[in-house]
Amino acid sequence: MTDFLQALISGLGVGSIYALLAVGFVIIYKSMQVISFAQPALLVTGAVMVSYLRFDFGLNFWIALPLAMVLTALLALVIERLALRPMIGKPVFVVAIITIGVDIAVRVVVNRFIGLGARQVGDPWGLTIRRLGAVVVQERYLWMMLITAVVVSLLFAFFKYSRVGLAMRAAAFDQETALAQGISVGQVFALSWAIAGALAALAGTLAGTRAGIDQQTWVLGLKALPAIILGGLDSVGGAVVGGLAVGVVEAMVSRYQGAYFPWLGQNFSLVSPYVLMLIVLMIRPYGLFGTPEVERV
Amino acid sequence: MRKFPHRPRWAVLLVALALVLSACRDTGGGTATDDGTETAGATEGATAGGGEVQTDVGVTEEACPNAVNSDNGCIYLGIISDLTEGPFAALAVPITDAQKAFWKRVNEEGGIGGYDVDVESYIKDNKYNPEVHNQVYQEIKPEVLALAQTLGSPTTAAIIEDLKAENIVAAPASWTSAWEFEEVILESGTNYCIESMNAIDHAQRNISEDISVMAVGLPGDYGGDAAKGAEVAAEELGLDFSSVETTPGPENQAEAVGQIVQNNPDIVILTTAPTDAAAVIGGAAAEGYQGKFYGTSPTWNPALLESPAADAIKALYLQTAPWEPFGTDTPGHEAMREAIGDVEPNDGYTSGWVWSYPLKAALEAAAEAGDLTRAGIAQAASELETVDYEGMLPEEAGRFGGDPSETVYREIVVAEPDENEPTGVKVIEEFFASDVAQNYEMSGPCFTG
Repeated sequence: MTDFLQALISGLGVGSIYALLAVGFVIIYKSMQVISFAQPALLVTGAVMVSYLRFDFGLNFWIALPLAMVLTALLALVIERLALRPMIGKPVFVVAIITIGVDIAVRVVVNRFIGLGARQVGDPWGLTIRRLGAVVVQERYLWMMLITAVVVSLLFAFFKYSRVGLAMRAAAFDQETALAQGISVGQVFALSWAIAGALAALAGTLAGTRAGIDQQTWVLGLKALPAIILGGLDSVGGAVVGGLAVGVVEAMVSRYQGAYFPWLGQNFSLVSPYVLMLIVLMIRPYGLFGTPEVERV
Repeated sequence: MRKFPHRPRWAVLLVALALVLSACRDTGGGTATDDGTETAGATEGATAGGGEVQTDVGVTEEACPNAVNSDNGCIYLGIISDLTEGPFAALAVPITDAQKAFWKRVNEEGGIGGYDVDVESYIKDNKYNPEVHNQVYQEIKPEVLALAQTLGSPTTAAIIEDLKAENIVAAPASWTSAWEFEEVILESGTNYCIESMNAIDHAQRNISEDISVMAVGLPGDYGGDAAKGAEVAAEELGLDFSSVETTPGPENQAEAVGQIVQNNPDIVILTTAPTDAAAVIGGAAAEGYQGKFYGTSPTWNPALLESPAADAIKALYLQTAPWEPFGTDTPGHEAMREAIGDVEPNDGYTSGWVWSYPLKAALEAAAEAGDLTRAGIAQAASELETVDYEGMLPEEAGRFGGDPSETVYREIVVAEPDENEPTGVKVIEEFFASDVAQNYEMSGPCFTG
């Protein structure tokens, strides 16, 4: 039982990172119907900014983190305005490919700032562990869960109660009608990128706790893909559930597969989110919380 | 993205330009793309340095672009490395920069047999992808005499048959035992397999005779070679042995940490990337593990001493390496530091520099014999009995050709973390080889996939 709880908490901790990333993907998808492959670059950018603000500008972690989120959001705005906005009206496939180009270009620049080594984000948790009864957990996992819970709650409140949030939901539902109601769809696009950028920065920073970030940290951004497919491409709640599910499944498979299913080979945990995704898609082709599309033929 | 009318396209062009620039990224001190220099495809009987020298591919009587010695001819060497987005870019860029500096120094000292050596015209990025590696190799093959660098073992495996067929000699940027069996590959230092045998010997002498050993490493020849070496040594010495294969990424190390804490081995032979190593060592230490980690040189990065795991690393980590680190006082290390100038110290530079010596020796021997053809270089390389590494490795480490059991170099150094050193590690035991390593018969590569 102790093992199970330890695996569950570490899974939820890492899953929180995936959830933040997945929510960013979904927000952009809902507004633009495009999967943005630039999220990994924004993830690394945010974490690098935290690192520089912490160690080169001497800021406290709790100041550096929100500041880096704002700066990354601004970068995302610039990317959206320069590279994406002019592509409105083009096939979504083309736009998605452009986001891949943006991702590579941004990462090449950011890699210069990372340098040859690993950069630390200067988090306050370090190697600290907490003992909850017999369960030993890394403190950072508890913080990851807490921060994600707060941020996601704020996002839900924003979408539900704020005028801008309602405008974003309206534009996601039907752009033409939203336009007719005086909603600036262009601003919705921009805001969705900014929010996704800030979330990616937060996720990247949390991922950089303990071991730091290096030129390969961006790969983590791809873990959000099974999460969004699992949860449903157009569901923010689904992205959160998908992200947490991916984290927990990875942790559980990593903990128990060797003992119970050794014939699956080592490191099956890394494949497990995709297996879960396939199973869910066979039962619910639009993901757990996705909207089924009805097409008449 | 469906409602607005068409907009100006300048931004699209901007993105395209950014992509092109990223593909043509400067690697720190030189260009990473071809400059279109033409070389003679097959010139027989070219004259250089006052004597008749036979040449074929990749050697011209015309001077190199930006030649140091404008009267010299030019030998073109290719470099295929992981320069932008692959997993080893952080190491590959300094490796490549060191090699540029190495060959520039060779030219400044007069070149080889009346020829300057150009390693900057044919630098290609393999993105650590075997397919890309082969593709860029095919592009530069008609233009180069040999390869000053072919980075990675799965990538080099994709071109090894062609290298052999064409007699193209290459300096590797990897330490797999498979290269002991390929005459066209001029490896330097020992391989991971022998290295981990020696690590176990060090642990036995410094911890206890009766130790338990766990190998934790990445899949493939890197982790696999080291794990096999550790297994061979453990079996030979009657020690408990277990092995855990892990995957790249700090957040993917929970299983490895769990196995280490659960099995509590006396030593762990670690073959991962640096941030993974920090996650494993920090994670295991936080859960109470107090054994020793012996990490291969790619597990190390001086930045680890700034991570939250720094205290654990200082207490538990030792590094095994095929040669001494960046700050060592040998003529070779000093020449390297002087040639590469003011850079952030990194042992990628050291490796790139060391790997270049055997190729230089082979070119010199071939030029001496008046045969700078590909076959002439391959012949000269296979006859090398010693290489002058300027003290960075013993001369006998440069023996190529013949039975791998006789030619493989078996000594390593062991270092410990020391933040006062340029690359954060200080050698605590100079070159040594264990009995197991010395007696191990290299009848085939340790890791066979």
